[in-house]
Amino acid sequence: MATRRALFSCTAGLALLASASAWAQDTPLNVLWMGWPEEQVEPLMDAFREAQPDITLNVERIPFAQIFQTIEVRLNARGGDPDIFIVDSPLTASYVARGYLLDLTPHLDASRFTKAALAAATVDDKIYSAPFGSSSALLFYNKTLLEEAGIEPPSTDPAERWTWAQLVEAAEKIAKPDQGIWGFVFEQAERPYQLLPLPMSLGAEMISPDGLTATGYVDSPKSVEAFQFYQDLYQTNQVSPPGVFDNNLTFELFGTGKVGFFVGNPYDLVNLPTKYPDLEWGLAPHPYFADGTPVTPTGAWHIGVNPNTDQMDAALTFIDFMMQDDTQRLWLKIRPYPPVLEAVWEAEADTTFADPGWAIVRHELTETARSRPATPGWREYEDIMRLAIRDIQTGADVQATLTAAAERTDRELAKYR
Amino acid sequence: MGNGIRERGWIPLLFLAPALIGLIVFRLAPIGIAIVGGFLQQTLRGETVFAGLANYLDLATDPVFWNSVRVTLLFNVLINPFQVVVALGLALLVFRPGPGVTFFRAAYFLPMCVSLAIVSVLWNILLDTQLGPVNGLLSALGLERQPFFRSESQALLTMIGIASWKGCGYWMMFLLAGLYAIPDDFHEAARIDGANAWQRFRYVTLPLMRRPILFVLIADTAINFLFFAPVYIITNGGPAGATDLLMFQAYQSAFAYLNHGRSLAISTILLVVIAIFAMVEFRLFRSPSDA
Repeated sequence: MATRRALFSCTAGLALLASASAWAQDTPLNVLWMGWPEEQVEPLMDAFREAQPDITLNVERIPFAQIFQTIEVRLNARGGDPDIFIVDSPLTASYVARGYLLDLTPHLDASRFTKAALAAATVDDKIYSAPFGSSSALLFYNKTLLEEAGIEPPSTDPAERWTWAQLVEAAEKIAKPDQGIWGFVFEQAERPYQLLPLPMSLGAEMISPDGLTATGYVDSPKSVEAFQFYQDLYQTNQVSPPGVFDNNLTFELFGTGKVGFFVGNPYDLVNLPTKYPDLEWGLAPHPYFADGTPVTPTGAWHIGVNPNTDQMDAALTFIDFMMQDDTQRLWLKIRPYPPVLEAVWEAEADTTFADPGWAIVRHELTETARSRPATPGWREYEDIMRLAIRDIQTGADVQATLTAAAERTDRELAKYR
Repeated sequence: MGNGIRERGWIPLLFLAPALIGLIVFRLAPIGIAIVGGFLQQTLRGETVFAGLANYLDLATDPVFWNSVRVTLLFNVLINPFQVVVALGLALLVFRPGPGVTFFRAAYFLPMCVSLAIVSVLWNILLDTQLGPVNGLLSALGLERQPFFRSESQALLTMIGIASWKGCGYWMMFLLAGLYAIPDDFHEAARIDGANAWQRFRYVTLPLMRRPILFVLIADTAINFLFFAPVYIITNGGPAGATDLLMFQAYQSAFAYLNHGRSLAISTILLVVIAIFAMVEFRLFRSPSDA
């Protein structure tokens, strides 16, 4: 692919003219990146281009729904393309098992990273993915809808966080399904990322300690109880819009004032005012089950180097640049994931993180954050659970669906045993 | 300057080459790779090893696969005759010249010009339970909202509906060409013999349409066994496996479950099933003169 692309650019007459000066010094570096909006990607890449004019970055932005398949296809070709790719942190072990990731231990200073980020990047005591962002969850609410329904907004204090029962009670007062007004929606309504904290809040473990068995975990009584609650949101309480799975749609529903409560990510702190400046919204900590403990999701994007890259030096230069304090502060500005560098938390303590929303995030990251199940088969686990969650939402029997999903997962995990 | 047939033998090959190369590279080679690949497995590190029948034995004990076989067969047993009958009906409707016939021909064919991905997105919105205009209309008429793609019992039928909305106009064109190929003399002779419209259709049109219908049926069957995009875009095989067609399982096996051997085994099984269906259809519709 790279050679064919190179061939095309060589034969194009214009390219000849343009590359006359760059010919001698040009090092192409192919980067497979998440499909975030251009303005949340290009400033970073431009900063790199400015710092390293000899390296020509080719950045491909792939939509979230296709990114994991694309990485699989491209890396499994076992060639040198892409040189760099974005890594969803729970997939690190999966990629290591497949030989997709270069060991970055000698190139990173482990002491700079937060503990959780480092743990997500480490397999067998080696760091395989460079931590680039963490994540958390916040309860956003629409002030106007709450006021209209006469609901006292939840407190920002994590000690007074709402239970799920409180949330459902409030959401029921807001929801008018026949008018397209809903009480509550998960931003990632089909993704285990945002939904596994439900069973985890009840104390369920969602995979065996060795990460290779799902039966007895995914379909445990506590897991069934949690996903029954999830189903009830759509079927019984009817506070959530069934069949809306796309992150962009759930975000739009909240942004356009059609949803009272919304479990979202810290990056929505920037996305909401940018896209929906007129929306009046507030923040509270993530809800929990009264007979359980608060649990929030975490983990996010890391950066990996293809061990087969032909541009090793340039690839490591890229990693080095992205791990710098200044780069990660810029990244925080354009798309605020909770930082993975202690230095960024400190540098922004009195500015960005003085915001009460970030105080909640900081609290969650240190007190309630739980990583997704550690398994080399996360790709398979995630997709099987995603389909099960869709079925559960549509009204399928929760126990039967989870048992079938667990059996399916065990079949797929067999290859890692 | 020899002009013997032997010396010129390569010239026809030269003209055929572009098509033949295309056929080999894009059709025959992938089929060969799929058949061979069904007997191989990839290790985690990407090495390819011979696996014998392991992929097929694994499928044989997999309830998800068997559900997928059931759904795929049901889908095809319903959709193929349905589309052929509707396409034939449309072709008969727009066959005779009359006011507005050109408009209707174009209108029936038009859905074919929209990409299947866009068709999927459009119908997914149109048929949405809460926000879709179709349900808005139903509810305005005092009827109950329908879940369509969100219901285990309606999802497959809805899939057949949108596939036919897009496909029937296309197959209509082939059958229309077949209708035009029937000389008017036959109808005229039948009319003189006192045959009514139904008898002319049953004893003149239909027998003479055997070949176009056979072609459409076989081509349609092959396409519908490979039906994929709307499942991927709208339902992901759900709810509860109701639209879990084999093509989607082949896709899932390769790109979600990272099991290429099984994906290729499913593709090979599909190929065999399509071949069997085509043969049966060929036998059923064979003209006596072809026997």
